[in-house]
Amino acid sequence: MSNKIGVFVCHCGINISSTVDIKKLVEYAKKLDGVIVSKEYKYMCSDVGANLIKDTIKKNKLDGVVIACCSPRMHEHTFQGVVEDGGVNAFNLEIANIREQCSWAHENKEDATTKAKALLRGAVAKAKLLEPLQTSTIKVTPKAVVVGGGISGIQSALDLAEEGHKVYLIEKTPSLGGRMAQLDKTFPTLDCSGCILTPKMMEIANHPNIELLTYSEIKNVEGSIGNYTIKVNKKARFVDIDKCTGCGDCVTACRLKDRITSEFDEGIGKRSAIYMPFPQAVPLKCTIDKDTCLMLTRGKCGTGPLCVDACEANAINFKQKDEEIELKAGAIVVATGYDLINPDSLYEYGYNNSKDVITTMQMERLINSSGPTKGEILKPSDGKKPKSITYILCVGSRDETECTWCCRIGCMSALKHVYLLKEKLGDEVEINICYTDIRSFGKGYEEFYHKIRGMKTNFFRGRPSEVKTNKDCLTIDIFDTTTNKLFEIKSDLVVLVPALIPRTDTADFARKLHISQGPDGFLLEAHPKLKPVDTFTGGVFIAGCCQAPKDIQDSVAQASGAAARAANILSKKELEAEPLVSYVDEDLCSGCATCISICPYSAIELIKEENGKSHAKVNEALCMGCGSCVGACPSGAMQQKGFKDKQLIPMIDETI
Amino acid sequence: MKAEKKEKKYALYPGCIMPTEQYAYELSLREILPKLDIKIIDLEGFSCCSEPIKSVNQMLTLALSARNIAIAEKEKLDIFAPCPMCHLALSDCKKVLDSNPEMKEKVNNYLKEEGLKYTGNSDIISILDLLHDIIGIEKIKKQVKKPLNEIKIATHYGCHLIRPSELGRPDDSENPQKIENILKAIGAKTEYYPEKLDCCGALLSANLPDSALTKTGQKLKSVQELGFDAFVDTCPWCHRQYDARQEKAGSIIAAKLQVPVFYLTQLLGISFGISEEKLGLNLNQSPTETIKGEKP
Amino acid sequence: MTITDLTSMGKSQTEIRKEINERLKKLQNEISDYCYQCAKCTSGCEAHKLLELEPHKIVALTKRGLIDEMINSDVIWTCMSCFKCRERCPQKVAPVEILFALKNMAVASGKQIPGNYTAMLQSVLSIGLLQDIKNVTTKNNKSINRNDLNLPEISKPTDPTKFQTILSKLAVEKI
Repeated sequence: MSNKIGVFVCHCGINISSTVDIKKLVEYAKKLDGVIVSKEYKYMCSDVGANLIKDTIKKNKLDGVVIACCSPRMHEHTFQGVVEDGGVNAFNLEIANIREQCSWAHENKEDATTKAKALLRGAVAKAKLLEPLQTSTIKVTPKAVVVGGGISGIQSALDLAEEGHKVYLIEKTPSLGGRMAQLDKTFPTLDCSGCILTPKMMEIANHPNIELLTYSEIKNVEGSIGNYTIKVNKKARFVDIDKCTGCGDCVTACRLKDRITSEFDEGIGKRSAIYMPFPQAVPLKCTIDKDTCLMLTRGKCGTGPLCVDACEANAINFKQKDEEIELKAGAIVVATGYDLINPDSLYEYGYNNSKDVITTMQMERLINSSGPTKGEILKPSDGKKPKSITYILCVGSRDETECTWCCRIGCMSALKHVYLLKEKLGDEVEINICYTDIRSFGKGYEEFYHKIRGMKTNFFRGRPSEVKTNKDCLTIDIFDTTTNKLFEIKSDLVVLVPALIPRTDTADFARKLHISQGPDGFLLEAHPKLKPVDTFTGGVFIAGCCQAPKDIQDSVAQASGAAARAANILSKKELEAEPLVSYVDEDLCSGCATCISICPYSAIELIKEENGKSHAKVNEALCMGCGSCVGACPSGAMQQKGFKDKQLIPMIDETI
Repeated sequence: MKAEKKEKKYALYPGCIMPTEQYAYELSLREILPKLDIKIIDLEGFSCCSEPIKSVNQMLTLALSARNIAIAEKEKLDIFAPCPMCHLALSDCKKVLDSNPEMKEKVNNYLKEEGLKYTGNSDIISILDLLHDIIGIEKIKKQVKKPLNEIKIATHYGCHLIRPSELGRPDDSENPQKIENILKAIGAKTEYYPEKLDCCGALLSANLPDSALTKTGQKLKSVQELGFDAFVDTCPWCHRQYDARQEKAGSIIAAKLQVPVFYLTQLLGISFGISEEKLGLNLNQSPTETIKGEKP
Repeated sequence: MTITDLTSMGKSQTEIRKEINERLKKLQNEISDYCYQCAKCTSGCEAHKLLELEPHKIVALTKRGLIDEMINSDVIWTCMSCFKCRERCPQKVAPVEILFALKNMAVASGKQIPGNYTAMLQSVLSIGLLQDIKNVTTKNNKSINRNDLNLPEISKPTDPTKFQTILSKLAVEKI
């Protein structure tokens, strides 16, 4: 209870003062019951403003503070520190938002000032009834979970492990590596992708602090910052990894050898039902695809499964089951990567009509020496070498009817391919690039573009409308805006550069981790400029392409950033918990459990009493102070500290 | 209890070209639709939809399309517009007026003069909606007495039947398959060809007739070179270019064109065993007699 | 401040450009400003190969406000309304619709309507249809028309006078 309240009104430059009459507000405040002093300043959040607040508190021996300024989301935390420094409990501070909710939403000065007065009235009424609260602490589980075994996840896991924290690295597919493992070379240095990736993969496998869980998926996440409980489903490989030597004899023997579309080869190559994703896989163990294996789908494989006969280590076990594992962690880093748009949604480019219309990732697999053609560039339709290859950029990108965003890596990938294709097929191969803009923005990128321009490449500035499939070639009409002429290109192979999209199961996944997606479907960062790796959920961080399309160097930088943010939590033994949690008046509670079904953080449990009755109890460590339970409680037994009914109702009365 | 009426009724909106020149389309559809339990109602008072003269005055097109819809709405009938250009005009008009009450009021002010009012209560159906979705492939199959002997037919959808897709057109704009499905049901073969979505050029014949014929000729030439046995369309404008003006188109592009061009409704009629004269096949100018149905 | 095209000495006609955008918004709910000149429309334009129509250039000139130049040209009448440009544009711009607006403006400003359009318009005015019943030649070389066939009477406006009144009023109405 406060009766010596100081009111501080901020101009916020001209953000507030151009619409709200500050002088009138300050005078008005002085007349309110409980207020003994009222001041103003241009930038209350500055050093000068902070000192003004502290000095006024000390001078007038205030026991409550109201600041009329911007949204509490901006500076509440800062101001809490300031008032504590001045000698007032942080929770005897109330903020009246007269910017986002007043000056920024209205134009009429008179009306805005009247509204600001109302908001101030309410804030003061609540401030009078606030109680001092103490922050509690929560113990931190000093372990991290990294979801996603691509280069971003690998980088985060290594950074955290090197710092001394235990890390669980969870990967959905049978091996680490992600998209980078599918690539041949990386731009602009033309490093061999596998060569720079595999040492890191080996580091993960050998690191004492890292436990690698491949072919595993997250089932459920509960808890909150510092204390997460994560249930993981370790999928059955039907291969005993302790026995498997990775020799690959089973793969060659499999009855379905070369009959199943390979995901790693982006659909342009084939594999067996029992397979090794790629030669440098970590762990180097085989996996059986339960959806295609004859033993697992039909119960029999010819006269007997050939893989079992071939396996000298006796590692195959058709009876293996999925395993559920429970992990505890203090922080989670999400690095689940991206998918590519299916070019069928731009049907006019002929992806469905011709085998010789492929995507950049499929071309990357052709170029890669461990790909389906062992590194030879051959037309998928007839296996012959192409004499002419045409790239179409921005397929589905920068498109109001598909993906509105730029894929960021398309231009550089196409330029990289020019270099690699000229290397493989000789200088005479005709390569055409149909572009709208060439975005070579990164370090070394423009220089790389310069190099490619000197390599006899045909650049067409324009976009084809369709790709026609003729009997012996593909025909593309393109209007080149640089020469103002329409060109007809006859090409053996057409490569589409598709848009980068969020993983198709992102919605489900985001719900599991209690994080949000942006309007484009990618995982949402807390602030696009200042908090690019945080999410709105404490303790969960994002890195790499799951947040937005980007190249490898930006992904790695972001991954290290996310690791640092996570380490911030893990390096502490305890965290301060906000005291604005819910609590139950056990006398009023009837045990109806409505609150329990509502709580998104599973923070409430039902306690049975001796007389057969029961009541709800809030686990303060898990409670995030969202207030849903308070709203749902039919008896008013559930209240939230700092937002009690008896504090809010007078606030509402005074405001209106 | 009354037995459920199997027959569906539609007001036929004939447009201009079909009733005044492309008689075969009207003859063939009047022959096949009753066999498929569709009743056509002829109404008085229709005028041009004005889509072909939209270039001159788009307000006219909007108002005249609304006028024609209003005539059918007065009789509480949905409209069947066999000409895809009319179908586009009416559908576009419906979309604009249904979503813009200011426009609707403006247009209705003009329609008042003739005692008409656009309300938006009638649906606009195209020939593909009718044959493929409303009647359905199964019902068509039941009527087939002389399957088309596996002849390879090049399908021509034209432009106004499938674009612009945001208005909701009867088939997909990049991979339309409804005509293919119908042809398969009557025993014909179909195949992708690169020029499938190309335009016939008809709308240019108002001011640049030779250019229009060049477009017409080029598509027919490709179809011929690719070995198709016949060519099918559903639009009086397209058909006039490909059938009636085939010879002229050939001379403009210096090629000998001998492509049999049919209306989809004519092919259906042939497979149903209806006589050639009733289907207006003696009015086709292209060499349609080279195609015979299954020998009895 | 003015912007002058030194090639044609034409000035930017921002009012007319706004008018075109408003008309497009009323009819399709999209405007022309988002074009980034990828030229996908021109690459696929059915008229371009024969007749030099460049839909992306039409949009660029409209954005620049150089409307007169286009209204006075012949090239705007070469569009065959195939709608491929509207269908495939990644920014939902519809050059075909801008062309309709420009053609309408050309007619309204008194320019001569090319080709057969006048005849078609006259026919609609007098009988309600683009053309009257025509004779066609059968495969047996006979000349027949609708009246020789087993078809119902052709549908025409029941009160031609009232119909013509509406048309003449509509002729001067703006969208």
